Amino acid sequence: MKSLTLSVMPGPARVGIGGPVGSGKTALIEKLIPAFKQRNIEIGVITNDLVTKEDAERLRKSGLIAPERVAAVEAGACPHTVIREDPTLNIEAAEQMALKFPQIELILIESGGDNLASTFSLDLVDQWMFVIDVAGGDDIPRKKGPGVLQSDLLVINKKDLAPYVGVNFDAMYAEALAVRENRPVAAINSRSGEGVEAVVDFIVNNLLFNKTAA
Amino acid sequence: MIVLSEIIGSANDESLSEKLHQLQHQGGVEIIKLNVSDTSRSRQKVITDKGTECGIALSRSQKLYNGAVLYLDKHQAFVIRVNEEQWLRLSPIDAETALELGYHAGNLHWRIRFDGTDLLVALEGPAQRYIDRIAPLIDSKRVVCETPDAC
Repeated sequence: MKSLTLSVMPGPARVGIGGPVGSGKTALIEKLIPAFKQRNIEIGVITNDLVTKEDAERLRKSGLIAPERVAAVEAGACPHTVIREDPTLNIEAAEQMALKFPQIELILIESGGDNLASTFSLDLVDQWMFVIDVAGGDDIPRKKGPGVLQSDLLVINKKDLAPYVGVNFDAMYAEALAVRENRPVAAINSRSGEGVEAVVDFIVNNLLFNKTAA
Repeated sequence: MIVLSEIIGSANDESLSEKLHQLQHQGGVEIIKLNVSDTSRSRQKVITDKGTECGIALSRSQKLYNGAVLYLDKHQAFVIRVNEEQWLRLSPIDAETALELGYHAGNLHWRIRFDGTDLLVALEGPAQRYIDRIAPLIDSKRVVCETPDAC
């Protein structure tokens, strides 16, 4: 019955986090790190930037995670090329991290900021989420970009800003659910951390089976 | 939760097929239905045709395929069945339109294959979602579309 045991998990799960520039991908990760720590889940992070290591440096200096558990990939081109068309650089970075830190159970792979057409290759990640924000406009779900439609989880960030940017948040959320045919949508405020636990639950329930069975 | 962490072989393998056949009669074979796009996922939560919730957690060197057997003993087996791929058939009326259609298909990152002068698009969502993206070509009758259930 070896195959049916609960502890056999070959390597860490991988979750992609994509979305437009400024939607709050890095800010979300800054809230996810302590949330996973709270649940005794060991993680690593891979960031993607165009020609710098800006996001990796931000996380390394945050004090939230050991700096060596943050790896940086420089896309050198459109960010989606290294998470979809040829994700070799990210696959290599994830494999290296898993070798270096065998205790890691989850690797978060943050894409560089991209447009609504951005998607992840499933050769790279097991699941991926797409982060948009209310300040980017309440019409984003209606535009039905592949990132909005195809992601395993759509995250709508900065819900607290809705009244200040003329957005009816409930309508935006309902529209997001409708275009995704009721596939999961999470509403969060990555500054305060509101809603972040739901994102953690989503990842744990769908990928970290040995944790859900506890 | 049951965790299935390896592919032990194909349901067509001689060594497995007889055992599966016998188990089938005892009601011990559970089928996991997957869409083609989900076969790329190394790790995912699934529910079998008998309602059993399982976690699939394969090493990344293994890929799921139709007939992959993920577990087999005297009482129980778990087998992957991949749903048939659905294709949208797009027929451009001339070479100029074909070029334009090809541009859009590439720009939209559709998964495609060719059948003579037709372009076939793998459907990973409702057909209308794809048709909407090239509506001007279809409305002007420069491209004729045929959905799996025929439009």
